[in-house]
Amino acid sequence: MLAKLALQSLLDRKGSAMLSLLAMTVSVFVLLAVEHIRHQTKDNFSNTVSGVDLIVGARTGNINLLLYSVFRIGSPTNNIRWQTYENITSNKLVKWAIPISLGDSHKGYRVLGTTQDYFEYFSYGKKNRLEFDQGHQFDQLFDVVLGAEVANKLGYSLGDKVALAHGIATTSFSMHDDRPFTVVGILAATGTPVDQTLHVSLKGIEAIHIDWQHGVKVANTELTQSDLEKVDLQPKSITAFMLGLSSKMATFQVQRSINEYASEPVVAILPGVALSELWRMIGVLENTLLLVSILVFIAACLGVSSMLLASIRERRHEIQLLRIIGSPPYFLFLLIELEALLITLLGCLLGATLLMACLASLQGYLVAEYGIYIASNILTKHSGYLLMSIIMASIVVAIIPSLSGYRKARES
Amino acid sequence: MAIELADIRFHYPSRAEHTVLNVPSWSLKTGTQAFVYGPSGGGKSTLLGLLSGLLSPNSGQVRVLGQCLDTLSNRQRDQFRAANIGYVFQQFNLMPYLNAIDNVLLATQFSQSNNRGGKENEVKVLFNALNIPENEWQIPCRDLSVGQQQRVAIARALINKPKLLIADEPTSSLDQANSDAFMKLLMPMAADNNMTLLFVSHDHSLSSYFTSVESLGDFNQVEGINNAS
Repeated sequence: MLAKLALQSLLDRKGSAMLSLLAMTVSVFVLLAVEHIRHQTKDNFSNTVSGVDLIVGARTGNINLLLYSVFRIGSPTNNIRWQTYENITSNKLVKWAIPISLGDSHKGYRVLGTTQDYFEYFSYGKKNRLEFDQGHQFDQLFDVVLGAEVANKLGYSLGDKVALAHGIATTSFSMHDDRPFTVVGILAATGTPVDQTLHVSLKGIEAIHIDWQHGVKVANTELTQSDLEKVDLQPKSITAFMLGLSSKMATFQVQRSINEYASEPVVAILPGVALSELWRMIGVLENTLLLVSILVFIAACLGVSSMLLASIRERRHEIQLLRIIGSPPYFLFLLIELEALLITLLGCLLGATLLMACLASLQGYLVAEYGIYIASNILTKHSGYLLMSIIMASIVVAIIPSLSGYRKARES
Repeated sequence: MAIELADIRFHYPSRAEHTVLNVPSWSLKTGTQAFVYGPSGGGKSTLLGLLSGLLSPNSGQVRVLGQCLDTLSNRQRDQFRAANIGYVFQQFNLMPYLNAIDNVLLATQFSQSNNRGGKENEVKVLFNALNIPENEWQIPCRDLSVGQQQRVAIARALINKPKLLIADEPTSSLDQANSDAFMKLLMPMAADNNMTLLFVSHDHSLSSYFTSVESLGDFNQVEGINNAS
């Protein structure tokens, strides 16, 4: 009967109840969305690289090295010599190594020079290997493997010719257009920066720079493919490299020996540690967003409460009547709490449904346009806790009008 | 005795100098159908508030159906009222957004007797006895005519089979025809159920329906007190 009374009483005040419900729905939507996207991006973020024990580059800040080697953001400070790479990877604790050479681009997408080991050992997410959507890995000098987003956005398919640009600007005036690359493979989408990368062999990178010095083309010698193959294309330097070790226990030992490498200043970082350092910086923004959405929710709670508080005045006769037929004052308290609870529960239901519908319909767009994958299933443990706190908070805030109803009932 | 008042004094907290009730002694025999009349503002509603236990006297003793109300806790008083006293007012007798059946069932909520299914049948029996047409049972009470609302109010007051039925100007908002119809339904209902009926009104013309007629001014001696102070 209490539930029926609460429901009917809300239906009787449809206008104000609907507005409160709307405010509650919007606030639950925002709160759940922020919290969900927060966790999803954090997951995506820490999924960018996995299975790599150490990243080695020229001496610089941890985050800087992580940013340019994994996220392809910013510029490398310095290269390291090929000799250094060979010395370090000759350590018997090193199981595999992926050299990375950055510095060229294609229409704003970074070009990564590497070896075939990249496709063999690089992994992301929960140790997922890279997979080919079409084609295969590069094996000729001028072969290129495209990330999913590059192929999708620029409309390339297997067999297309791609000219690389020197430098990393979107529009570059110095093109390596004399030696175009052929698309031989397209990777499946990963939701990581790999999707935005063009992969070529280290020798390919060397080949297009063969007659360049200090970033400028010096001689316009027309070297043919066969000429190039005769030249020694062993790179002199690379940007960084990733290491997989034969034992996790050896990580710190190898890291120390690299950091103490005498003939060149290099640094080795643990990707997991650097990722969490970086996340801590981004976390400030995330927390601000969460704080704002919590404030929006509190505003909605206060809206519901003020609606109920205003209703108490117009319900003076109802309250008197209930008292006359024998209802104790706490019945009024429960009635008004229940009305607030009904609005909150319905708001949670609508807000969560709306969010799931939005995510489900935007999912494809987000992956295609931004390479961000956000799961549409928001029914995680976190959102469960969040919904519970939402309900608890609304019950607490509804104490204000409920107490007022209780007092009115005692007075009558 | 259905009602016994002894040495009652009452004033509202906001106006301590204005005594509303001063009843040295008044009682009502069980089974009486009593009519108490008095002018508006003469303390009629205050008297009913004391009898229902919603108000407590500043001094004196209120006994209703042999139960001394001052010795009960608030909670017990609410339960006592729900189980033993039926009320009909001039207006605002019903929750406007509930239908007739739910309004009557709401009154059973707070009395000790439960068993919903049986109660719903009792409601229907009462509605039939009060000539409330079936097509009006399920619509919100605010959409009923005032006369019909007062009939539902009688059903609401009777559903718990109270021993005391209190009517506070129940016909004031009705026209003559509806008022007569209301009285002709109420009186036999009270008699058939062996209820004590206390009917309070400023309208002396209704006194013809009652065996016992009293003026509130005869036992409420406030004149001298308020003038003296």
